[in-house]
Amino acid sequence: MSQAETANAGGSASEGSPQPAGASPHLEQFTYDDGIVRMFTLATLIWGIVAMLVGLLIAMQLALPALNLGLEWTTFGRLRPLHTNAAIFAFAGNAIFAAIYYSTQRLLKTRMWSDKLGRLHFWGWQLIIVSAAVTLPLGVTQGKEYAELEWPIDLLIAIVWVGFFGVNFFMTLKVRRERHMYVAIWFYIATIVTVALLHVFNNIWVPLVAAGQPGTALGYLKSYPIYAGVQDAFMQWWYGHNAVAFFLTTPFLGLMYYFVPKAANRPVFSYRLSIIHFWSLVFIYIWAGPHHLHYTALPAWASTLGMVFSLMLWMPSWGGMINGLLTLRGAWYKVTADPVLKFFVVGITFYGMSTFEGPMLSIKSVNALSHYTDWTIGHVHSGALGWNGFMTFGMLYWLLPRLFQTKGLYSKKLAEWHFWLGTLGILVYIVAMYIAGIKQGLDWRAITPEGNLKIEFIESVEYLIPLYYLRAVGGGMYLAGVLLGAFNVYKTWKMRPKTYAEPVHTAPPLSADYTDAPAPKHRLSEHGHPELAKKVDVWMQGHWHRRWERLPLKFTVWVIVAVSVASLFEIIPTFLIRSNVPTIATVTPYSPLELAGRDIYVREGCYNCHSQMIRPMYAEKLRYGEYSKAGEFVYDRPFQWGSRRIGPDLHRVNKSYQWHHKHFEDPKLLVAKSIMPPYPHLLKRKIDWKSVPVRVRAASYLGAPYTQEQIDDAMNNAKRQAQAIAESIAKDRNKPIEEIQETQVLALIAYLDRVGKDITRTPAAEDEKPAEPGTDNAEPQGAN
Amino acid sequence: MTHTPPEHEPPHDQTPLEDPLTDHEYDGIKEYDNPIPGWWNWLFAGTVVFSLLYILFYHIGVGPSIHEQFEAETAFRLTQRFGKIGDLKPDAETILLYMNDPEWAPVGKSVYRSKCASCHGADAAGVAGPNLTDDLYIHVKKIEDIAKVVTNGANNNQMPEHGSKLHINEIVLVSSYVASLRGQNLPTVGWTADPGKKIPAWPAPPEPKADQAPEPVEPSPSGT
Repeated sequence: MSQAETANAGGSASEGSPQPAGASPHLEQFTYDDGIVRMFTLATLIWGIVAMLVGLLIAMQLALPALNLGLEWTTFGRLRPLHTNAAIFAFAGNAIFAAIYYSTQRLLKTRMWSDKLGRLHFWGWQLIIVSAAVTLPLGVTQGKEYAELEWPIDLLIAIVWVGFFGVNFFMTLKVRRERHMYVAIWFYIATIVTVALLHVFNNIWVPLVAAGQPGTALGYLKSYPIYAGVQDAFMQWWYGHNAVAFFLTTPFLGLMYYFVPKAANRPVFSYRLSIIHFWSLVFIYIWAGPHHLHYTALPAWASTLGMVFSLMLWMPSWGGMINGLLTLRGAWYKVTADPVLKFFVVGITFYGMSTFEGPMLSIKSVNALSHYTDWTIGHVHSGALGWNGFMTFGMLYWLLPRLFQTKGLYSKKLAEWHFWLGTLGILVYIVAMYIAGIKQGLDWRAITPEGNLKIEFIESVEYLIPLYYLRAVGGGMYLAGVLLGAFNVYKTWKMRPKTYAEPVHTAPPLSADYTDAPAPKHRLSEHGHPELAKKVDVWMQGHWHRRWERLPLKFTVWVIVAVSVASLFEIIPTFLIRSNVPTIATVTPYSPLELAGRDIYVREGCYNCHSQMIRPMYAEKLRYGEYSKAGEFVYDRPFQWGSRRIGPDLHRVNKSYQWHHKHFEDPKLLVAKSIMPPYPHLLKRKIDWKSVPVRVRAASYLGAPYTQEQIDDAMNNAKRQAQAIAESIAKDRNKPIEEIQETQVLALIAYLDRVGKDITRTPAAEDEKPAEPGTDNAEPQGAN
Repeated sequence: MTHTPPEHEPPHDQTPLEDPLTDHEYDGIKEYDNPIPGWWNWLFAGTVVFSLLYILFYHIGVGPSIHEQFEAETAFRLTQRFGKIGDLKPDAETILLYMNDPEWAPVGKSVYRSKCASCHGADAAGVAGPNLTDDLYIHVKKIEDIAKVVTNGANNNQMPEHGSKLHINEIVLVSSYVASLRGQNLPTVGWTADPGKKIPAWPAPPEPKADQAPEPVEPSPSGT
């Protein structure tokens, strides 16, 4: 690459045109909007540091629970969603926007269609992030992983993603001057349409306010999903896994396809591999979600589809890795000298590693060991820190001199330090988590020769503490690297010229009368092969795909078809087959107080540490009781099965009122080595009584069979039940009842005392039979 | 100049590889027309074939479902655990018989650790449930009442029922274990409510019958 190109991203006017200037009479002049790229780049860095700081804090909280400083807003349950949302949507999100805005303009030889939409996209996205950072610590959450943001923010996301980003991107495609779309653009298209689909269909809710006025301001932000139990779980992990696929994989593959060949100055390894790995990845990824729900109450066929499609995803993923790494053939000597390529090589290698590990973890018998453990945490961080993080930093270091129009980075050496600190940090992090995860998995299933549980839950936690410190060391090293990077960015920015040059490019507009190259000839000998074989051979050469690449609308439609068809194959049976969720006659809706308590469970983010899903495994039966059945969750909006057991499963928690009360006051009073923080605010703050009937009415809208009397009596019923629990606790704990009455903890205790119990209420409980969905004629259980 | 390659590139970068290039070029990026590696094709096909075979075996063929595997393991463990003693009866005689049985007391203790210790304390001195090491009892008047309280719960389910969760032998053995704790008289730790009333000492344990040769009996699969 010549010096001129390096300095300002294509300073020569002829770069935009493959033909010598003047060859066509219709040359158009245009410039690129790099201001928007500078904005997204800066946001990437800032939010990256925020996400990692929060991550480091909550990692330390697991070793030292007191680090929430006694505040309800900084407990692990509320900050963990902030960490994941910030890492995914703020850090990785801004990074992919920077990549897309920079590369799309150049790959399509046009400025973005609208500067204004670009700015609206940028500021809208930052507003979403700030709203998340405010609402999540306040406990405003949908209680579904990576979809925690509540309904007003969901709407904002839809507007910004589709209305600003999507429209701007597709209109840019329309006004392009490059006939064919490069593979990076394919991945951007898949990202934009699929994320929109995932977001919309996983976030369909009834806001509480539609059922009446809640008593507090935050109550206006609360909603219930239209899906319940098994179906909610399915939709959530269809979304959750494909957020990994279409937010953290496809846009980063697009990033890779642009920036790696640019930085290495080498052609991409294989165009044909690009085609086949793109389409197989897009089609297969979308099925894989149910592998997050192995051994749960999800029907077995769905679980199996999740597993086998994850296995089939291995090669499509590795197709991307091969095309990235083999692009460096003939350029490996550059890797030793260039931190950009170092980041890319290690990033792509981590991609290969985690896309091998992912299919492996999706095998049911492996998942039986790994699920709910820190192994998953290790896995996602090798992906997030290794693949997403390193691809982002590689891109940033390559972009900096071009965006800020400097002669180079402020310090290459600091970038090298960043690289090595980051790489070692990831290794320390994931090794600690692998050891922790495998040890937990083995501890939980350990049975003595007599057939008893060998290790109590809290004993399995003790072993983890040193590993949690080690993890924090690894994460701290990674963050230290990023801080060096931030310093380097600042110093490079300081070297910028007074005003940025805005090079003018020229290219002819797309002519209307384009004819595709003629179809290739088949490569078989003329004789001895049937005509069909010859046709197949022609088809296999991909001529038709080349045509698609100049037809963005057609291409986009096929992407939508691929992801929708695959989704519907799983979604339709999940919702329509009755035997998926056999009704259990004794399972009835929550009492008003229990419902309010469940919303507190969601608010506090209990699902971040506790599952409510006992798997059909002998050790789990001994430890937690009868395995969880699909019919037990029909009134659970949202489902709260969880994905991690930092604490034990709670589906059949089975403890006394006073035990819970004492435990929320300070878990260490009962479990000396507990790493759960105290929840003193639950023991002080009063229940929002006014919202109780609103919650019941909203649940009733969604199909919970409450009678009109029950809805009318909801508040009094809740008060009676709370009073009974308060009296019991006051007696057993020898405390004045005034201290206990009306406190929020009573609602939460009522919920915990109820959950998972219906199935054992009468002998008829074992009598599972398929019934009409939503026509459970059993009477809702009131306070008792 | 961080990213500018050396001005004189080594020869092996000049004429890279003899791979065929396509005629595509986007912002200076070219693409080779290389074939897809054979091992990639074969592994991809292999995962597809494996997936079909997996579905055929487990969902159409004879492969056991997850629940069948679970039932099988539960039955196996049950025989392993209790095959020697069959189903026990929750009566005074049986509870007394197993009170200090060296072979079976550890089973009762294990059940105690996982189900009772969080409220009654690891040493049973009472935390969020009453002290079990003294002579004071709330819902127990006779030794067999221990099994009743474990099975049905007490105090408006503040002592939760375990009848739906434990095997009958687990209930008997944990009752024996709890009965054996009496007499240590540890000071109560955290239980502040009614400590209960003093009740008469347990009856003397029955003489182990010499002819009580253990005959393997199949324990019942369900709980109580």
